[in-house]
Amino acid sequence: MDLKELKALLRLMEGNDVEELEVEEGGRRIRIRRRSGQVLTPPAAMIPVPPTGTSGTVISSPLPPTAAALEAAGLIPLESPMVGTFYRAPAPGAEPYVKEGDVVQKGTAVCIIEAMKLMNEIESEVKGRIARIMVENGQPVEFGQTLFLIEPA
Amino acid sequence: MFSKVLIANRGEIAVRIIRACRELGIRTVAVFSQADADALHVQLADEAVCIGPPQPAQSYLQVPRIISAAEITGAEAIHPGYGFLAENPQFAEVCENCGIQFIGPPASSIQMMGDKAAARRMAARSGVPILPGTEYPVRELEEARRAAREIGYPVMIKASLGGGGKGLRVVTTPEALESALATAAAEAAAAFGDARVYLERFLSDPRHVEIQILMDHHGQGIHLPERDCSIQRRHQKLVEEAPSPALTDSLRQAMGQAALRVARAAGYRNAGTVEFLLDERGDFFFMEMNTRIQVEHPVTEMVTGLDLVKAQIRIAAGEPLPIAQEEVRLVGHSLECRINAEDPDRFLPSPGRVTNFRPPGGPGVRVDSHAYVGYIVPPYYDSLLAKLIVHGRDRDEAIARMQRALDEMLIQGVQTTIPFHQKVLRHPDFIAGRTSTRFLERLLQEQ
Repeated sequence: MDLKELKALLRLMEGNDVEELEVEEGGRRIRIRRRSGQVLTPPAAMIPVPPTGTSGTVISSPLPPTAAALEAAGLIPLESPMVGTFYRAPAPGAEPYVKEGDVVQKGTAVCIIEAMKLMNEIESEVKGRIARIMVENGQPVEFGQTLFLIEPA
Repeated sequence: MFSKVLIANRGEIAVRIIRACRELGIRTVAVFSQADADALHVQLADEAVCIGPPQPAQSYLQVPRIISAAEITGAEAIHPGYGFLAENPQFAEVCENCGIQFIGPPASSIQMMGDKAAARRMAARSGVPILPGTEYPVRELEEARRAAREIGYPVMIKASLGGGGKGLRVVTTPEALESALATAAAEAAAAFGDARVYLERFLSDPRHVEIQILMDHHGQGIHLPERDCSIQRRHQKLVEEAPSPALTDSLRQAMGQAALRVARAAGYRNAGTVEFLLDERGDFFFMEMNTRIQVEHPVTEMVTGLDLVKAQIRIAAGEPLPIAQEEVRLVGHSLECRINAEDPDRFLPSPGRVTNFRPPGGPGVRVDSHAYVGYIVPPYYDSLLAKLIVHGRDRDEAIARMQRALDEMLIQGVQTTIPFHQKVLRHPDFIAGRTSTRFLERLLQEQ
């Protein structure tokens, strides 16, 4: 399933006012859940699952958490303040700024977002532990996209 | 030809541009604020990048984020639409510096035409008639008094860096000049960041007639049949038509050639519009040049058969003009009504959820809109919701068609100006072609 097909599914859901849709195709399963309200959550990432095998059980892949789920879990999202390319380390080959599990302070640099050939260091706004890194090294990011989930201290 | 274009705009014009790109086989990138996540242009584009919170200054005017969005998606060109950054010379220049093709004129032309007093001087030097007025902005009161005496009252005070109908004051007597200068300058400073104003003779009841021009990167230029945009409220156009009921073919040619002279003097490229005022005697005077595609471009498309947005993209990609001057055709008559999400009596914005949207159809009817059932009209942007455009074999048929289409059009959930347009289209002066820039003022007073 490629992005085009995914978008077609989303349009289908919206056009028919469908809240949730699950599709399985050749070992890949995707579940899309729409949230009513103004801001769309980004479409669920395509996470491949292992083939079902003889037992017939399928392991469903985790959806990226909604804002409500995050708050319930007590995790604070660090959202991108700009549009650009996300890098985990200050330079290619260098050590990443943070790993999952690291403790950060308010103001600790956690990543770089490159925009218009400028490298911008992004700082944590809270003190806590990096619970999850939500994007991959070199991935383009948009304004407001969740980069990290932080468990506040 | 470009393989990917980013549209630095929203609403109906973003949809328009995406449609043109689609037909040219170009992949599209939409940018959107957090208030536009469900917008039609986002749904239709191949890719979409969020560029900020709802406020325009934090999103659609954010040059670095838009350029960055082009870079991360690999867009080779940016179409700025109208409004927002479309006439921002710094933005055009940043695009040039970053190796991204700006689909529009060179930054220098935008800059030149953005200074309205300088544009007047350029028109005069090109042998194009201008209204009596000051050559440069007035520096102090005595100079303004002398100039106003020479020009003859009534005079219009205009912001030098103005546009969009802002920073204008009419002064009918010498006693009113001083305070009018002060308020006009203050408004200009607030709206455009520059308090400079110039003076021009005020015509009491002119028509607003504008000429669409196209210039390619190979030195060729054509002028297209005019648009009459006299029906305005507070300098905002509400109904436009092509051609103008007032023009003869010889006047059309004279104005067209004048428009091209101004454009050439500005080193212009791509699509642009030269605005004139036409007085009762048929004398025309240069007003300003708009260095962008305009809201009302569809009426020109309907009578010429040309796709102006595709022409813009092709010109920017280095292709020559679609036709030569002698191939330009004027067929039939076209009207456009700008349907705004506003209270039809007081013209106050009416944001909210569109619960029903039933556009009209049938022969000669075109609707350019970003609305759909369930769309939430955000309060942060202009209130244009749909453009209803008709074409007929002559003005009478176009009027009957527009009346029919307006009656058929249904938008519920938000208030719209459809009832207002229905009144205009049934007004005897409109039907007789007796329209001028004061038509609307008189109609509104009649109520």
